[in-house]
Amino acid sequence: MVGLRRILHGYAFAIAGIAIGVAGLVALGAMSERIVRFIEGGDRFVLGQISVAGRGMGMGAGFTAGGLLPAATIRKIAAVQGVAGVQPQIMLPLNPSTSQFMTLTQELVLGLDLSVPMPNRHYRELPVRAGRFLRAGDRYRAVVGAAFAASRGLRVGSRLPLEGVEYEVVGILERMLTAPDRFVIVPIEDAREQWVAKDRLLRTLLASGAVALTAADLNTGAAVGWRDAEDPDTVARRLVAEVPDVNVQIPSELSRLLRSSTAFFSALLGGIGALALVIGGLSLANTMAAAVFERIRDFGVKRALGATDLDLAGEVLGEALVVTVCGGVAGLGLAVLLGVSVDAWAGRSGQQLFHFSTRLVAGALAFSILLGAAAAAWATFRVVRLSPVEAIRRGA
Amino acid sequence: MLRATGLVKSYRAPSGGAVRVLRGVDLAVKGGELVAVVGQSGSGKSTLLSVLGLLEDADAGEISYEDVCVSALTRSAKSRARGRWVGFVFQSFLLLPSLTALENVLLAARYAGRDRAEARRRALELLEELGVLDRKDHYPQALSGGEQQRVAFCRAVLNDPPLLLADEPTGDLDDANGAVIFDALRSRARAGGAVVVVSHRPEAASGATAVYRLRGGVLEA
Repeated sequence: MVGLRRILHGYAFAIAGIAIGVAGLVALGAMSERIVRFIEGGDRFVLGQISVAGRGMGMGAGFTAGGLLPAATIRKIAAVQGVAGVQPQIMLPLNPSTSQFMTLTQELVLGLDLSVPMPNRHYRELPVRAGRFLRAGDRYRAVVGAAFAASRGLRVGSRLPLEGVEYEVVGILERMLTAPDRFVIVPIEDAREQWVAKDRLLRTLLASGAVALTAADLNTGAAVGWRDAEDPDTVARRLVAEVPDVNVQIPSELSRLLRSSTAFFSALLGGIGALALVIGGLSLANTMAAAVFERIRDFGVKRALGATDLDLAGEVLGEALVVTVCGGVAGLGLAVLLGVSVDAWAGRSGQQLFHFSTRLVAGALAFSILLGAAAAAWATFRVVRLSPVEAIRRGA
Repeated sequence: MLRATGLVKSYRAPSGGAVRVLRGVDLAVKGGELVAVVGQSGSGKSTLLSVLGLLEDADAGEISYEDVCVSALTRSAKSRARGRWVGFVFQSFLLLPSLTALENVLLAARYAGRDRAEARRRALELLEELGVLDRKDHYPQALSGGEQQRVAFCRAVLNDPPLLLADEPTGDLDDANGAVIFDALRSRARAGGAVVVVSHRPEAASGATAVYRLRGGVLEA
């Protein structure tokens, strides 16, 4: 205990220096992790289902940019070989004046046909943090994403007005760091009402009676699941071939498309990660080596008292371990404090900029310990090569 | 106890040439003897002491402790030999600033593998003998020069080394504190230890069994 206190006292500046380096490394890493989670989450979602939309460019198409998907088409989709389930959906921008181009960060209303299980293999149900998910038979009830709830101060039981109708918030999703964080999920019947209320053209069309449409025809898309042992791309191509007037997203192609559209972010992440490693690593290594060189006279004295190279190396590495662990933990705490503070501020608008994943925390600590030990070992190697007299003279 | 023969040591001058500091020094010191080496500043006294204590290597010559040729040992073996046979008292004390007076003394026991409790008991005895027991928990920066040198002396003799090497041990002290240190060195010799003192002060010769002058790289009686 006394030894630890002495090390902390003797290396206070080194620990502070390492803490700052590690804090920079972890903070930049946490921002990278946040973006990675967003990209990975989207990728996981699109690879878990086949997304189908009606052919066209309807305003309420959300991600899928398609038109109406009538009930008859949904029945045809369900009849295709290899299809395990079809869930009609409606995806609408919460605010239609917002550009469709921004759908990745846009707030969306998602209407789900709750009589059908979710066919997405990776999201059989969306994880709920508070309250419950929607049930068949619910009306004017909503489950909202974590970012959406945070930006509006919504809790379970809150009232949420949508197109002039009050919805009761019955559940809040866990923060997923991807698109559903900004969703308002409602029963599909309610979403149909919202669509009609939002879309004057659709309203006019329905009122004119020129087109024979029922409520069940008002779908912007469908999530399609495939049977076990079926290849999703093959099933998707079958849909293209057998069901007319639909846009079918081939899962692997959509994944590729998502990844290519986020290639810039991936490159940015690589750059940020490399920068964080270089800056944090140099800071840490330099601080640790300087801390060892500062004690060069002490090493000379110890060698005069009978310490061998091995004794000194053991002492320095032991101290380096304590110093880098303390500096690493302090830096980690500093970064988390910074991240939590910034996110508390950004959270008011539904944003989260940092994600402190386990792999990031463990990686940063391991990195700092290994690099600290390596820097200390290198510095010690330089120091023990000197004769005791030379070490005492240089450290004077 | 100590036998040195034909010690030669040169340094490379900034101009590139070699400066020969020791040109074949022979010295023998038995237990119970206090040998004083005097000489002008820059004559090589400190270098001689460093070479005798294995703190740096000679270019040529041989050093033996108790008939063991230690100058030919490996680096690690030399370190162990220092811990076993030699105690050092330096002009600038060289106490570690991060350790208390008592911890500085106990540092000598760490590398000798001594029992902690026994070493602590002996360290406290020595600090009391030198009159600095009440300062045992103080850090060096809180001690006067005289107190620091007394603590350094305790550290040098904690392991009861057969050979004590003192390099200008009173160089930074006033007369009163200098006298305390010289008394302690003489007591050490009277107790059977071999002591070599390098000093420019005349008191160093007082009580010495032999006095040598280092001139031109060789020892003169």
